[in-house]
Order: sequence, then structure tokens, then C-alpha cells
Amino acid sequence: MSAASMRLGGGHTALDDHDDKSRQAQRRADTWMISGALFLGTAILGFIGLPLYLRGLSIQSQAERQGLSVRPVIVTLIGYLVIIDAALNSFGWALDMIAHHTLVARVFLTTWGAMFDGGYFWHYNELWIGGATAPGEKSWEIALLPVVFCMRLAAAIGFLQMKRWGQQWLVVTCWFGVVAWTGYVANMTIFADVRYAHVAFPVWGWWLYDIFYITPFLAIPYLHSVNREIFSE
Amino acid sequence: MSPSSTPSLPLGTSPAFAGMHKWLKRGLIVCLTALVIEGAFTVPFCFIYYGWPTLSLQDVCSELMRVRYSDDNVVCQYPYPLFGPAEGELAKKTAQDRWGVLPRPLYKRIGFRELVTIHNERLARQAASKT
Repeated sequence: MSAASMRLGGGHTALDDHDDKSRQAQRRADTWMISGALFLGTAILGFIGLPLYLRGLSIQSQAERQGLSVRPVIVTLIGYLVIIDAALNSFGWALDMIAHHTLVARVFLTTWGAMFDGGYFWHYNELWIGGATAPGEKSWEIALLPVVFCMRLAAAIGFLQMKRWGQQWLVVTCWFGVVAWTGYVANMTIFADVRYAHVAFPVWGWWLYDIFYITPFLAIPYLHSVNREIFSE
Repeated sequence: MSPSSTPSLPLGTSPAFAGMHKWLKRGLIVCLTALVIEGAFTVPFCFIYYGWPTLSLQDVCSELMRVRYSDDNVVCQYPYPLFGPAEGELAKKTAQDRWGVLPRPLYKRIGFRELVTIHNERLARQAASKT
């Protein structure tokens, strides 16, 4: 008996039924994960977001075990991690670019500066544009925040939807991320005195904190080795 | 039958890359967990390290400005006037730096809750000088 002959009424096949159930399960899982990611991206409400996100991940894994066609877990992890990475970076840099004279931004960014990265402490708010004054820092913010991180966010959304353009653009924007890491770290190294002199937890502190933002380096090997046929046009 | 349809492997993963994908997945979970913990604790940790809630946020801001510009007279204006000059413009003359193509700041490292001690000592000095 072929799948096409197993009609369930009104021309609806068992394959259609499987497809519908898979989409519903994926949508249910994504509702929880998107809610979680929204909280996770705010940084300070992250602990509310984590259980919501994990609940969504477990719904998806359960659907996979039941034989439904859902997204691979690693695709889910990469997609949401790119979104959260972009959101967390944007949180600090949006404050530094446009909210640099609010009290909470001044306290948060200068305490961060005195603790990890002197670029956010040294002569803070002295430039006409406000915010961090370390050489090159503002340029990186302008290049990365409205351009690269927005592109990464869009690519991650397409990737999570299992679109071919999403996978392709995530490859492009993750390589952008490699360029960003290389340039940003080189800039910090060259102007190390401004960045690290007399901060509470200098080079080792900055690296211990920021090493977990290496999502592009983890995503790239996967994106280049995954079977691209699983991503649809 | 394509390699990716092997039942034990995730969709899209071929046997050649199964090990790499497994370790990438573990790394991604570690990064996600760490980012969540860091994101949740950074703001409270920074605030507490520099003296909040013993000092108000405005006091913390002012004390950091005094360290930054080596000047006990600067104060964080709150609320900052909407169309005012950049905050540092008014204070920059007193900043201590070794200038050159690679500038180096000369302010001192601030320890855990040291701003509270600095703040209290200054208030004591000001009170003593008034009497």
C-alpha cells in the first residue's frame, strides 16, 4: 500500500498528515524558543529566557524521537546562538552609540571599562559622538552594529527556517564575524595600553569573558560540512 | 541511499563529519550556557564591585569620573541636559595620561568596592576641613 493510497479523507494523505504534525511540533517548539531568545538577548533577563528556550528545545527533540520531521538540533542551536550573540553585542553597543549620557549606560559601560576593557573608561564620553573613545572602537561599533549584526540576525532567521539563502548568508556573515574578531582583537592589541592599563581584570579577564562569543568559529565548520540539500529554496 | 539518511546520524550530517558535528554541538551548548550566565550577572556584578547599593548609581558614576579625570570636583550630572556638550568635554583638562602615538592612562586600578572607601574618605576630609 503506497502512501498516496492511504487516504484519510478529502485527498489528505498520510504524508500530508505527517507534514502537518511536523510543522505544528516545530512551530510549538519555536514559540517557546523565540520567547526564550527574546529574554536571553536582553542579557539581564537571561535567566528567565533559559528555561523557556530549553523547554522549546526539548519539545523539538521529543518530536524528533517520535519520528516527526523537525529541524536538526545543531541547526537550532546555531541559529538561536547567532541571534542571541547579535542581541547581546547590540545591547551594550546600542547603549554606547545612542544612550551614552543616560545614568544607567554611563554606570554600566564605565564599570565594564574599569573592570575589563579600558576603552570604555578612558576619556569616556569625550568624543562629539559620545561613548567609548578608544582608538577605532567607535568605527567598529558603526561597522558591526547596524551592518554586520543586522545581517547576521537576518541570516540566522532564514537559517532557522531551513532556507537555502539562510544557510548561504550565514556562511557569508559568519566569515564577516571572523573578520570582525580579527580586526577588533588586533586593534585592542595595538592599543593595549589604553585597553588594559590599570583595569581590574585585564587581558585574561577580557578573554575569559568574551571567548564565549566565538559563535562564527563554531558555525563555519558546520555550515561548510552540512549536506546543503536539507535546506530548501 | 545517501549517507545522510543513516538512522543514527542527524539530518544533514554525513558519517565523515559526525564526530566534528558532535563536538561542535557540545561547544555551542557550552557557549549558550556561558552567555546566559554572563549576560545575567554582568550588570549586577559590575554595579556591586564598584560600590552599589552602598553608593547610589549617581555616586558610582561620579566616583568613576573622579578617578578617570584625577579631579575630586567633577560630578556626574543627572539627568544630563539633552542638548548639552559631551560630558568629558568639561572635565578633560585634568586627565592624567602619557600621550604619544600609543597613549597610556595613568589612573590607578580600582579594587573590589574600593570606591566606597574613597568616597567615605573624601567626605571625612571635607568634613574635617570645614571644622
